Amino acid sequence: MRISALVILTGLLVITACETVVFPTLPEAEPQLVVDAWVNNKEEPQFIKLSFTQPYFQNTLPPPVSGATVTISGSDGSLYLFAESDTLAGTYVWVPAPGERLGTTGVLYTLTVAALGEIFTATTRMGRVPTIDSITFRVEEGNQFIDDLYLAEFWAIDPPEPGDTYWIKTWKNGTLLNKPSEINLAYDAGFSRGSNFNGVNFIAPIRRGINPFDQDEQGRFLSPYIPGDSVYVELHSLSEASFDFLTQVVLQTDRPGGFGELFAIPLSNVSSNIQNTNPNGTKPLGFFNVAAVSGRGRKFASLDDVSNLN
Amino acid sequence: MRYIFLFFLPWAIVHAQPERATLSGYVRDASNGEALIGATVFVPASGAGTVANAYGFYSLTLARGIYQVRFSFVGYTDVVCEVDLSRNTRLDIELTASSTQLDEVVISSKEEEAAIRSIQMSVNRLNAATIARMPAFLGEADIIKSIQQLPGVSTVGEGASGYNVRGGSVGQNLIVLDEAAVYNPSHLLGFFSVFNPDAIKDVQLYKGGIPARYGGRLASILDVRMKEGNSKQFEANGGIGTIFSRLTVEGPLVPGKASFILAARRSYIDVLARPFVDVLRDGARLNFYDLTAKLNYRLNEHNNLFLSGYAGRDIFFFDRQQGFSWGNATGTLRWNSIIGNRLFSNVSLIFSKYDYALQFGEDERDNFKWNSSVTDFTVKPSLSYFINSQNEISAGVEAHYYQFDPARATGTTNGETVNISLDRKYNLETSFYVSHQLQVSRHTSAEYGLRYSIFQGFGPGRVYQYNDTIPGIRRQPVSFTDYAKGVELVRYATPEPRISLKYEFNPRSSVKASFMRMAQYLHLISNTAASNPLDVWAPSSQNIKPQLGTQVAMGYFRTLGQEKSYELSAEVYYRSTRNQVDYIDGADLLINEYLEGDLLSGRGRAYGMELYMQKKTGRLTGWVSYTLARTELKVNGINNGSWYPTRFDQTHNFKATAFYQINNRWSASANFTFLSGTPTTFPTSRYVIQDILIPHNAANTRNNVRIPPFHRLDVSFRLEGRSQRKNGKTRKNTDYWVFGVYNLYARKNPFSVYFSQADDRAASGAPLQSRATQLSIIGTLVPSVSYNFHF
Repeated sequence: MRISALVILTGLLVITACETVVFPTLPEAEPQLVVDAWVNNKEEPQFIKLSFTQPYFQNTLPPPVSGATVTISGSDGSLYLFAESDTLAGTYVWVPAPGERLGTTGVLYTLTVAALGEIFTATTRMGRVPTIDSITFRVEEGNQFIDDLYLAEFWAIDPPEPGDTYWIKTWKNGTLLNKPSEINLAYDAGFSRGSNFNGVNFIAPIRRGINPFDQDEQGRFLSPYIPGDSVYVELHSLSEASFDFLTQVVLQTDRPGGFGELFAIPLSNVSSNIQNTNPNGTKPLGFFNVAAVSGRGRKFASLDDVSNLN
Repeated sequence: MRYIFLFFLPWAIVHAQPERATLSGYVRDASNGEALIGATVFVPASGAGTVANAYGFYSLTLARGIYQVRFSFVGYTDVVCEVDLSRNTRLDIELTASSTQLDEVVISSKEEEAAIRSIQMSVNRLNAATIARMPAFLGEADIIKSIQQLPGVSTVGEGASGYNVRGGSVGQNLIVLDEAAVYNPSHLLGFFSVFNPDAIKDVQLYKGGIPARYGGRLASILDVRMKEGNSKQFEANGGIGTIFSRLTVEGPLVPGKASFILAARRSYIDVLARPFVDVLRDGARLNFYDLTAKLNYRLNEHNNLFLSGYAGRDIFFFDRQQGFSWGNATGTLRWNSIIGNRLFSNVSLIFSKYDYALQFGEDERDNFKWNSSVTDFTVKPSLSYFINSQNEISAGVEAHYYQFDPARATGTTNGETVNISLDRKYNLETSFYVSHQLQVSRHTSAEYGLRYSIFQGFGPGRVYQYNDTIPGIRRQPVSFTDYAKGVELVRYATPEPRISLKYEFNPRSSVKASFMRMAQYLHLISNTAASNPLDVWAPSSQNIKPQLGTQVAMGYFRTLGQEKSYELSAEVYYRSTRNQVDYIDGADLLINEYLEGDLLSGRGRAYGMELYMQKKTGRLTGWVSYTLARTELKVNGINNGSWYPTRFDQTHNFKATAFYQINNRWSASANFTFLSGTPTTFPTSRYVIQDILIPHNAANTRNNVRIPPFHRLDVSFRLEGRSQRKNGKTRKNTDYWVFGVYNLYARKNPFSVYFSQADDRAASGAPLQSRATQLSIIGTLVPSVSYNFHF
C-alpha cells in the first residue's frame, strides 16, 4: 500500500482516534526460562541467549540465566559447544575456526540446554536460500502530502519446490531494521502457505519490505533512502515452525494502533519449539532456528541509480 | 418428517365446526397506502382478535353475527366498524395517523397492548420515525446503531460493524431486507449501516422465541421492511447530512394499483475535497453509496406483486490501480395471493450477493487482484391458513442455493502471473416448516412449530482430511478427495422445534415462555475484534460442523398508568450453543486453501436478564433498558480449555433513549449508554527474542481482565421549518434541521488496551521499552448538523 493511501484514509476520518498511554496493574507471574537460539551458517561467532521472563513493565535488560551447558548437534554427526561469554552473562558463544561454519542445508539440528537443573531440547532442520541477484532503487513520486520517496528493492527467485520460508533482514547504513513492523517474512515467494507463490521472484511487497518508513518531528514521512545511504539485505532460511512463530510474533507485536485496532486479533502467547525433557518440569519459552544465509548490499550513490527515473 | 402428521390433528378438529364466516382484508395507512404491519383487529364483545401480517393482511373467522370490530395501530386513530358477518366479508381499512404534530413520537395507546397480547416474546420493534429521531453519530440516522439501544444487544465497541444479541457473535445474526439476507451490513468499515432510513418502514429484532418461519442463524433475526411507496400522491424527501446526501422519491404509478419508491444516498466528502486534493483528481476514489427501490402492483383484489431491490458499494481507491471496494446487491420478487378469504399465500424469489474486490500494484509487472463473493438464490413459498379466531396454521419451504467464491485471485510478480484462486463451493440449504398458533382459552395461547433444515454441499470440489494434533496447533492436511460436479460432498439435517406459550392474567399483564432450537450452516470467518469487509463466509463442510443453538426464555409483560402509557417487560434467557467456530493463534484466514486446519470448535453459553420500560405518551417519551448478562465460550486449545468470556461480554448494559417535545417547532432527544468494560487479555510478562519484545501471559488465559466501563451521552435537537408562509398560507413543502452532539461530555471511552514496544528502533544491547496504550475510537465530542426537506 502506498503511504499516500494511508494519509488520505486518515484525512478522511476527520475525527481521529485518541490514544493514551496507561499503566494498568498486571498480575504477577513466575519467571520462565527463555531460549533465544537463532544461529546461522555465516562464518562468524554464533550466540544463544538464555534469560528469564520479567514483569511486563520492567524496562530493564532481561535477567540472564548463567551457568548453563549449551550444545547443538547435527544429524550429520557435527557438534557445536557454546560457552558462556565472560563479559555478557547469559550469552553463550560458539566461535568458528577459520573456514568453519555452523549448519549445512538439509541437516537436522538438536539444541540441548542444561540449565536450572533441567534439560531442554529443540530440533530444527536447516533450510535453503536463493542468492540475491541484485538490489535496485526506485522512486515513488510525491504529491501534496508527501515528498518523493526513494525505495530499495531486492531481486531473488524462490527455488522451484514449495515449502521454503525466509526471514529477510535489512541493514540501513549498518543499522539493523528491527522494529516489529520491519519483520519481513516470506513463504516461498509470497506471504503465506495458502497464497501459493512458488518458484518465482519474491512478490513486490516483500521485495520492497526492506525500506524503513520513519517520520520527522512534524510527522512527515522521510524517504527510506537518499543518495549516500547504503542498504544490505540478508535472506535467512527458516523452518516452517520458525516461520509460524515469527508470523505470530508479528501479529502480537506489530500493533497498528488507531482505527486499525478495530481489526486486531486477541493477545495470545506465541509458540515455542523448546521442550523440557521432563514433561512435568517447568515450561520454557523461545525458539531455535538454524539459518542458511545469503546476502547482498548496495550503496545509493546518486539519483542515477534510480531505475524508474525518467 | 414423521412429526408433520401431528400438525394435521388440529386442522381436522377445526374443520368440524358450526357455521362461520370470515372477515378479511388489508389494513393500510390512509395518507400513503402503506401496509400497517402488526395492526390489530379486535372484537371487544367476544375478545377475539388477530394481527395484520407482514403485508398488512388480516383474516378473522367468527360465528355468524353482527360485530363491532376495532382496527388499531400504534400512532393511528382507531376505526370501529359494525360488520354484518352473515357471510364472508372483505374489508380493507385505512387508518389515519392520530396527530399531525406529534405523530412520529407520541404513541396513542388505546389499542390493545401488542406486547401483552401477542404471543411473540423477545422481540423489539423500531419504526423509521423513531430511528430518525434518535441522536446519531454525525447526525446520520442508522438502523444498526439504533437497535444497539435495545435490551439484550451489545457490541464489541464504538465503530465496530454489526452487533451481538444475547451472547451471539456478529455472524450469528440474520439481517434481512425485504426477506433478502444482507451479508455485510456496513458502510465505512462499520461506522454506518447500509440501510437508508428514508426507505425503511420498520425494523423488528427477534432475540428469542423465533417463529419457525425464520432460521439459518443462531442468535437473532433483524427483519427490515422497506416502504412500499406512497400510493396516493407523489412525495420527495431528502437531506444533507455530515456524511450522506439523500434523496427519496415515491408515488403512485397507476393510481390505486401501482406505486414505487426510489431512495439514494451518497457520501460526498470526496466531491468537496476534490478541488483541494490532487490525488482525487488523479484517479483516487473515496465514496460509498446505496440505492433502494421498490415497486408494488395490485394485480387485483386478491393478488399483489412486490419487486424490491438494493445495491450499495464502498469504494476506496488510492489511485487509479490500487484500492478496494465492497458492496451488497439484493433483489426480491414477491407475489401475495389471498385464496378464498382465509388462506394467504406468498411466494418470494430472492437474490442476494455480497462481494469485495481488492487490487494492489502500480503496474502490470507487479500486482495483486482479488475478488471474493457469496451469492444466494432463494425460493420461499409460504402459506398461512386463518382457520378461525383461535387457530392459525402457517407452513412453508425455504430453499437457498449458495455459491461461495472465497478467492478469484491472481498475483503477478515481475511479470509472472500466478493464479491463487480457491475452489468455489456450492451448497443447498432447504428448510420446511409448519407452525400452529392457537388460542387455548381466553387467557392462554400457544404457538408450536417445527422447522426441519437440510444442508448439502456439492462438487466439484476437493475435500481435505486433516491430522489430529494438540488442540490449538495448526492441523495439517494429510490427504484429499476430489469430487465430481454434482456429487454430494456433505449433508446435515437438523430438526428445529420452536414453542411459545402465553398466559394473560388480564389485558394489562401476561407471562410468556419460549423454547427454540436453531441451526446455522454458514459461518462468518473472523478473528478480529470487529468484523471487517474482508471476512469471508464459509459453508459447513466435512470439516466444519453446523452451529447449533438452543434458547429458553421467560418473560413478564405489563402496562401501567391510566392510559397504559408505560409498558414494562422483564425477560430471562439461557442459551447454549455447540460447534462455535474459533481460531488457532496465528490463523491465516484469507486466501488459505487449508483454512479448515486453522479452525477450532467449541461450546458457548449465555444467560441474562433484560428489563425494559417504555413511556409511550406525553411530551416526554422514550425507553430505558437494562441487561445483566454473561456470555462465555469453551474451546479446546484456548484458555486451557476452560470457559472464558467473549470479547463482547458486558455484565451491565444500561441504555436510555428519550424524546421531548419542547414546543411546536422544537423537539429534543437524548441517548445515554453505560456498558461494563469488555474483556480483554493482558500480559503478565515480557521477553525478548532477536531484539523483539514479546508480551506473554504466563497463565495462558484469554480475556482475563476488563477494560474500564463505557458511558456516553448523545443529544440532538430538531427544528421544524415554519409550516406557514408569511402571508399565512400553509406551506406545501416542509423542512427541518437536526443539530446533534455525539458523546456530549467528550469521554475518552476505551475500545481496547494494547501492548507494544516503544516506537524507536532498538539499539543492540539496550533494554527495550514496553508500553500499554488505551485506544478510544471516538475520543471527543462530535457535533453534527443536517438539513432535511419534504415536498
